Parts: sequence; structure tokens; C-alpha cells
Amino acid sequence: MGEQQASNEVYIALQRQLYQEARLLSSEQYDDWLAMVSENIHYAMEMPQRRFREDKGHRVPDKTPIFNDDMAALMMRIGRFKTGFVWSENPINSIRHIVSNVEVFEAELAGQYKVYSVIEVHRSRLDAERKRLTAGREDIWQQTATGYQLIKRNAVLDDGVVLDSNINFFF
Amino acid sequence: MNPLDELVDFKTGRQKRIIYSDPGIYEQEQEKIFGRCWLFLTHECQIKEPGDFVRTFMGEDEVLVVRQKEGDIKAFLNTCTHRGNRLCKADHGNSKKFICNYHGWSFGFDGKLNGVPLEKDAYKDQLDKSKFGLVEVAQIASYKGLVFATFDETAPSLEDYLGEMKWYLDIWLDAMPEGTELIGTAMKVELPVNWKLPVENVSGDGYHLGWAHAGAMTVSSSMSVGGLEVGNTSADNSGAVSVAGMNGHAVLAALDGQSGYGFYPDPTSAVDYLEKNRQTVIDRLGEYRGKKMWGSQINMTVFPNLQMLPGLNWFRVYHPKGPGKFEMWTWAMVDKQMPDELKQTILNNVSRTFGPAGLFDNDDGDNLQAITEQSRGWRTKQMDVYTNMAIGGEHSRDEMPGVVSEGLVCEQNQRYVYRRWLEMMKAKDWSEVPSYNSLEEARATEQGNG
Ligand code: FES
Ligand SMILES: [Fe+2]
Repeated sequence: MGEQQASNEVYIALQRQLYQEARLLSSEQYDDWLAMVSENIHYAMEMPQRRFREDKGHRVPDKTPIFNDDMAALMMRIGRFKTGFVWSENPINSIRHIVSNVEVFEAELAGQYKVYSVIEVHRSRLDAERKRLTAGREDIWQQTATGYQLIKRNAVLDDGVVLDSNINFFF
Repeated sequence: MNPLDELVDFKTGRQKRIIYSDPGIYEQEQEKIFGRCWLFLTHECQIKEPGDFVRTFMGEDEVLVVRQKEGDIKAFLNTCTHRGNRLCKADHGNSKKFICNYHGWSFGFDGKLNGVPLEKDAYKDQLDKSKFGLVEVAQIASYKGLVFATFDETAPSLEDYLGEMKWYLDIWLDAMPEGTELIGTAMKVELPVNWKLPVENVSGDGYHLGWAHAGAMTVSSSMSVGGLEVGNTSADNSGAVSVAGMNGHAVLAALDGQSGYGFYPDPTSAVDYLEKNRQTVIDRLGEYRGKKMWGSQINMTVFPNLQMLPGLNWFRVYHPKGPGKFEMWTWAMVDKQMPDELKQTILNNVSRTFGPAGLFDNDDGDNLQAITEQSRGWRTKQMDVYTNMAIGGEHSRDEMPGVVSEGLVCEQNQRYVYRRWLEMMKAKDWSEVPSYNSLEEARATEQGNG
């Protein structure tokens, strides 16, 4: 692979960052999460389409957007949670974000790192209802004076059909 | 009295809960509704070139929809005629032939069986390949870009099936000279919900908007939509209509010409587009539709399972997967002539409001799932549910076809959707299915029941 591994120091720092981010997202501490997200964030997630390997897909895209958010859109989603009117999240549903397969590489710009990870989201909802969604993530994190900031996230959901009735959370 | 009459009472707006859970009723729906009605297959823009195909469903039947050499469109059951394997596993693509993975039978994209391995050595050249082509739907037709098919050769023509609903569909499909297109591919979600519940919801349930979607409305509203308020503290029904009584098809429409973009945090570019092109639309559709309806918040339902919201720009089909499950496929649909930037804005907004992570859509799933589950318990399922709001408000208007009631908050449309459901379920064949597109016709064809 042509990509240059980040130093161990950076690797550990960013792994820490991802773990912390996962805990904040699982506990709905969205303001704290936003503090590690850049003003210029591009937060995107797509879902795959099934098509033949030899089909290069020049006519229609082979992925469908689920999230394609800037900061204003993220704030709108978080604003909705904060209204207290999101009845499906009351009572609280248990949610765990499990992060693994972390790899960190130098990005093109100095002080930026490309971070690959796998995210697995477990949700326990009403009675015995349990959902598990997995996605691969490709992030760009920027080193700043106050710590690392997420400036880009491209996630790809593994399912071609979403198996939950809502995505009232972030990946 | 037909025992099915127990299930739905049009006059009083009552339904039996078991229609959302009973496996026997579901089986009958497959035959009498999905086996007979015209069902949406695809938009022509999705299969432009010969060999372009999409894989979709008609009820629980899996179908391949393929553009032919001469430009026409065929639809086949997606199943091999030898031992019944699924023929194609891709969602869409382009292919000159479909080869079965089991024994290698090869079908042309016109459905003909062209190649059979060991045809000579094992079949001794005795297989009549002309008898084993793919099975086609009974009728296929397009209406202004939308491709439909039915399994019933006695079904009325698509034009007649749509009836006066065409007058409303044209507000989107024929407003601009170049028509519409779907952007990209469908966002798909599976929900543990009976398929009728999202249909009834979007057909007429303006009532739930201000309450179920209070959170989403609070953060995304930039203008008033049909007189609704967050928290349902009040509703001004004067500037909007519910329209039904068109063979099960239904419309909810605000009449302000802009509120379709009311759930855009910044509707400027969309509203600019509307005002820039409004004269064109008035020239094509007349003053009333051009001024009052084009651009308004509108919900359109084509019975049984196709719904679209111009303005919010989503286009959606529901595929039943058993009494308590369906798949929901949502696209962004736009006018072909819209500037690319506006198309992108619309795509973003569709996924943000009604996609799998949509601010609005994420409010509906749990309610509809719960209603499905609350139709299963032995005692609970003996109960009824009601759509008995605003009974008696039905009237005719010179400006528009169909049966009209005032406002978005009104349960007239659901009553008519269930009336159609019952008519289809009771009819032995299409000759027994009544046809009505106006209040007089709807009254004249009303079947007396309990
Ligand atoms: S099942 Fe298709 S070739 Fe045998
Ligand atoms: Fe809704």
C-alpha cells in the first residue's frame, strides 16, 4: 500500500480519540462530540446496491446516500433530539458503539490523518428487540492546538436494506 | 353478508385490527390486490438502454424489468423455468443475457430461453426451448415516465385504472416539459410493519404531522405547511384539501404553491425555481394547478402501494413481505430540467427528511410497528381502529376532480383507501370491482355494509 503509516504516538492518540468519540455518541453527549468535530465537517454515509462485479456502473451510482451532512445539518439532527419530542427515544434505548480495525495513515496535508475503522452499533430497544448495524468508516482527522478534529467521515453501511426503523444516532 | 364486510366499515370509518396481522387475510391480499392491481415497477429513466434492468417486486413476486432492443419494456418473473432458481441477484445493471446459477440455462433479455447446457448429450435434443421462456406479466404500460404492470389480463387499462388521479399526478409528472427523473438508486428499509399502515398514513394522515413529527418540524420548518402547528395546538384547514374517491387513489394538498419546500431549512433555491418556471406550468396545467398546487406540499397515493410527495420530492413504493413486514424503497424524484445544484440540494433533503436516517421518517417507524404488534394479542386483535374524523365533510369542487374534504387534518382519504381495499378483496374478478371518480359515482357505487 502506498499509504504512509502514522507514528505510534499519533496512532495511539487517534485510537483514543475514536474510543472517546464512541463513548460520547453512545451516551448522547452530543455537545461534547461536536467539540471534536470541525466547523467544516463533511459527514457522509452511503448504503450499497447489489450489482454484478463486471458492471462498472457508469449509468447510475452504485451507492445511495443516507447521510450527506455539513455542520448545519448535524446541528439540525442534534436539535431534533434536544426538542424532547422524539418519542421513539423515550424511554432511553441502550446503544453501544464498538470501534475496531483502526488504521491511521498520513494524509496529504500536514497535520491531517486518514483513519480507517469498523463501527458496530448495537441497540436494545423495546422488550427483546435488538438491532446490530455495521459500517466501514474512512475519516480525516486534523491535528489542532486543542486536539484532533474530525473534518471528514465517509461511512459505508454493510446492508443493502436498512434493518432498523430509524437511525436516531450517529455512526 | 360477505364475512369480509366485517373487516372495514366505510360509513363509520372503522377497521378490524386483524387486517394488519392475519396471515389468511394477507394471503388473500396477495391474490386479490397485488395479483390484480397495476403496480409500479420503475421509472423509465432507470432503464434507458437495451439490456438495462432493475429487479423489483410485485407483491411477493420478484420481477425483472428490462429495456428491450426496440425500446419497449418487458417484465418477467425473476425465476428460472427449469427448477425455479432465482435468475438475477443484482438490484440493477445492464445485461444482454441472464444465466441461471444452478444448471446454466441462458435467457436472452427478451426472455427467450436461448441456451441449455448438454442440450444434445443429456436432453437428446428433445427439449422444446420455446416453451421454457421467462414468464411475462399480463400487461405493462407507462404513464408519463412511470412504468406499471399487472398480473391480471382482465384489469382495466392503466389510463382507466389511474382515472382522475392522472389530473393530480400531472402536477408533478407533466408540470415541466421534460418531465421527471429519479436520482440514483433507492434507499431501502425493512420494517416490521403491515404494508397498509404506511399507505394509510401518507394517504391522508395530516393529523399525526404536528404531533408525531413535532421534533422534526421544530428544527426543519421554514414556512407554514397546510396550516399545521408543532404540537397540534391548532390547525387551519382552510388552505388545504383531502381528495379521495378515485378508485382508492388519494391526494392531500396544500394550496399555497410553495409549502412543498416548507421543510427545507433554506428553501430559497427551490422557491426561486418555482417562481421562475411558474408561468410555464400555468401554460401547461392551467391557472389553478399552476398557481395553487404546483410547489405546494402534496401527498399522492396510487393504490395500492405507490406514494409520492412533490415538494419534499420523495417517491416511494412498499413491497409486502408477510403480514407483519414490508420493504420501503425511497427515491428522490426531480424535474429533469432542474439545475444540478438544486437536484443535489433536493437529494440531500430527501435523505435528511425521509431517508433511512430521515428526521421525519424516523418518527413513523415505531408507531406503525407498534400498531402492527397491537393487532396480534388474542384479546387486543378483537378490537377495532378508527378513521372517523370529519365524516360528512365530503363534497365536490368545480376546480378539481374526486371527493374533497377540507384540510390536511381529516381522515376522509383513509376511509376511501380502506373502502377500495375491501372492494378489491370482495370482488371475484375485475368485472365486480366498481369504478368511481367523483362524489356522485362514489355514492352510486357504495356497497351497503354493517
Ligand atoms: S434451475 Fe435454473 S438451470 Fe436449473
Ligand atoms: Fe409521518
